Amino acid sequence: MRSSVSKLIEELGGYGEVRVLRKGLIHLKACREDLPKIAELLHWGLGGYFSVSVGVDERPVDGLLHVYHVFSIDELGTYVVVEASVSPAHPRMPSITPVVDAANWHEREVTDFIGVEFVGHPEPGRLILPYDWPEGVYPLRKDFPYDSKVSVGEVPDEVVVDEKGLEGYTKLPVGPYHPALHEPEHFILYVDGERVVDARYKGFFIYRGIEKVAESRLTVNQVPFIAERICGICGYTHSCCYCQAVESAAGIEVPERALYIRSTLLEIERIHSHMLWLGVAFHVLGFDTGFMIMMRVREAVMSIAEMLTGNRKTYGMNLVGGVRRDINEGRKEVVLRALRRVREEFRESMEDILRMREIVSRTKGVGVLTYNDARRLSVLGPVARASGIDTDVRKRHPYAAYKHVDFRIPVYRDGDVLSRLLVRYEEVLESIGIVEQLLESMPRGEILCEEVEIPEYRKGVGATEAPRGEDIHFVITGRDNKVYRWKPRAPSYNNIPSTIVMLRGERLADAPVIIASNDPCFSCTDHLVVIDVRRGVRKVVRGEELARRW
Amino acid sequence: MGVVTERYPYEPVEVPEGFRGKPVIDPERCVGCGACANACPPNALTVEDDLEAGVRRVKLFLGRCIFCGRCQDVCPVEAVKLTKEFELSAMSAEDLYQVVELRLAKCLVCGRAFTTVRLALETARRLPEDQRRLALICPECRERMSSHLISYARW
Amino acid sequence: MGRNCVKLFRRSLWVFHVNSGGCNGCDIELLNVFAPYQDTERFGVKLVGSPRHADAIALTGPITREALPRVVRAFQAVPDPKVVIAIGSCACGGGIWYDSHAVVGGVGKFYELLRERYGVEPPLTVYVPGCPPKPEAIIHGICVLRGVVKQKQVASYYTEEKAPEIPKELLGVPSFEVRRVRGV
Repeated sequence: MRSSVSKLIEELGGYGEVRVLRKGLIHLKACREDLPKIAELLHWGLGGYFSVSVGVDERPVDGLLHVYHVFSIDELGTYVVVEASVSPAHPRMPSITPVVDAANWHEREVTDFIGVEFVGHPEPGRLILPYDWPEGVYPLRKDFPYDSKVSVGEVPDEVVVDEKGLEGYTKLPVGPYHPALHEPEHFILYVDGERVVDARYKGFFIYRGIEKVAESRLTVNQVPFIAERICGICGYTHSCCYCQAVESAAGIEVPERALYIRSTLLEIERIHSHMLWLGVAFHVLGFDTGFMIMMRVREAVMSIAEMLTGNRKTYGMNLVGGVRRDINEGRKEVVLRALRRVREEFRESMEDILRMREIVSRTKGVGVLTYNDARRLSVLGPVARASGIDTDVRKRHPYAAYKHVDFRIPVYRDGDVLSRLLVRYEEVLESIGIVEQLLESMPRGEILCEEVEIPEYRKGVGATEAPRGEDIHFVITGRDNKVYRWKPRAPSYNNIPSTIVMLRGERLADAPVIIASNDPCFSCTDHLVVIDVRRGVRKVVRGEELARRW
Repeated sequence: MGVVTERYPYEPVEVPEGFRGKPVIDPERCVGCGACANACPPNALTVEDDLEAGVRRVKLFLGRCIFCGRCQDVCPVEAVKLTKEFELSAMSAEDLYQVVELRLAKCLVCGRAFTTVRLALETARRLPEDQRRLALICPECRERMSSHLISYARW
Repeated sequence: MGRNCVKLFRRSLWVFHVNSGGCNGCDIELLNVFAPYQDTERFGVKLVGSPRHADAIALTGPITREALPRVVRAFQAVPDPKVVIAIGSCACGGGIWYDSHAVVGGVGKFYELLRERYGVEPPLTVYVPGCPPKPEAIIHGICVLRGVVKQKQVASYYTEEKAPEIPKELLGVPSFEVRRVRGV
């Protein structure tokens, strides 16, 4: 058994000032030169993992630009926030990406938005901002008005990526638009015959400037509504996470009953999200009947959500300090009855489907992510659990009402698509069990803490286990009923880079299902354009045809 | 498993109690306080004063509404309510507006139109009797009067 | 060219879905529209993979700056005559982030841009508000477009003709003197 919290504080104390903000949250103010060493200690030495990096323009407060790296020490159930600052005149600090691969995108994002340069970063370059965004304009700096419409330029036809060592391979752009309803994403696959040699990814077509709107125009209690719309499938987790972050920063006690209601809705969201994913995964495998079956079984869950919250998807239930609506006895009975049926139908259908040899053979041993790669890239959620990492925020950093219920965390060691499928399958069954326990044992009481006082410039971290993994929000409270900085980090952010690792060496026909198995907030198999470089012929092939023909 | 396809649109579909559908402003109850516009996250509800026409205009644009129900939560006179209506399609964006215009009232001291008559009456109703006559005096004048009172103890 | 969809498309309506950067809520409800419970293939409405085969564009999302050129290209690829189904709060009015620097802001602003830059007049559009709209609401939108059902939503205007009577006790300025003191 490794160090306890006090030993951790002692070790970190060598690097700077350590403060325990609250139970489970430690803050370390470090010197920026020490960042790589601290990252090494926290991610590798103590067996934790890197969670998120946040850049904050604190020039109105102390004239400096700050960067926060957040690590999770699962064993101790603690988050460690490491803070370092630079002056805006020389905004450079050492990169931790050489030590922790997972920080790659995070640091590039901080460069895009705050303008801090990370010295030693292996692949610096624009990540999120559009191609035609002018240089030197940093949206999240406080002097950039949130509603300034910088004029739209022309976008180049070819996506510009780093292609060192990949000359001579056939290039297959995959995306950004898809035949059947998925979000715009752009993968470029480099193939040699049937095998994928490498891939590059350009995403962030969905960058809407949410963080900037939230800190400029919205009040503290309006942000849960924008948080919910970050993602249409796992919106409620974002809303809960934000509320938890503010409640952690301001020290607000949420009533027990509200926590139970939040947990119930979070699990219902997990159930519908996993069922949707299963449906989409089957569709991508060419098994459309499976897709229809899943959508059918899932409908009952959507109706439950609509009855409890007023909308099938965007529950709108959260305010800082509690929830807006209660669950009365009559509705509780309806929910329990519906869930019993859902469990029966789901288990029956899935057992039949998993007996199909075609499904198993197309997913077993495909798209493997080893344990080491998973640790290196800090993957989260079902992807991590399928690669042998036993992690789940509900158990390691218990929040809401999860400490009051009993449930298993399924962990598989093979790291292939089939393992990810099985992890999600079992999670649905566990979630149904959790909802039943929560509803049976819900305590009486208030559902909303009416009088909330939110002091200025307090830092808080909220984390939940979204259907796709650990969702973490970092909040610095502000004045005038606003937030000073809010950084939501969805789990797919850490998971998508691992898709490239999974794709290497696999067959082209398996590419769609591998990309989908990561559940990047939705499958992103796209419309393919095949460019046969040798013959100079261009063909347009739909994703499903590809899956069936080759 | 059987046939589950609904017969919609040939048969109506029921929505549960508490369903968050179209918000409707009751024009008889609205007083023009603007609490709904303050609370509305996407600014679908806006309140603006048209001094020329002498009215305060409360506008609800359904196109941008996110159906969160915060307006219903904060309205002090229960004028905005979310209904069960979800069939809101329209062939033009102009069809998606609800506008309520209320007459403005002028400050008795400086003459500036700062509130609606209905809001002044509602405020007066809620104030203790000896403060009611302050309802038709604008905040700036009230502040000046109060600071005068505090500095010179004259009333 | 008649601005009546019934005249334009007599039989089935093939739809190309363009997600211009939304949260996917509306997209999944659109997915539901083709799933067993709602199933619009009964009306001959189906999704197609290529914009060249489509009659209608189902637009979701507030049109982010990054997605804008691709949305324009998809738009130009759908052959005329075409119709647009603007689904959800983001497509209809820009959504909760309508004024963000990263977003064009819904079909209204998008059509202005099309007119300015490409001289293209906006096509026939049906607006389906909601966040996200129920699958039934989307079907209602398609049916309103096709003329199968009548549009229910109409604008409503109310003007207070005469202000209510103000009781006399509120009309007098409180009795004290607001006197200008020398030097103040």
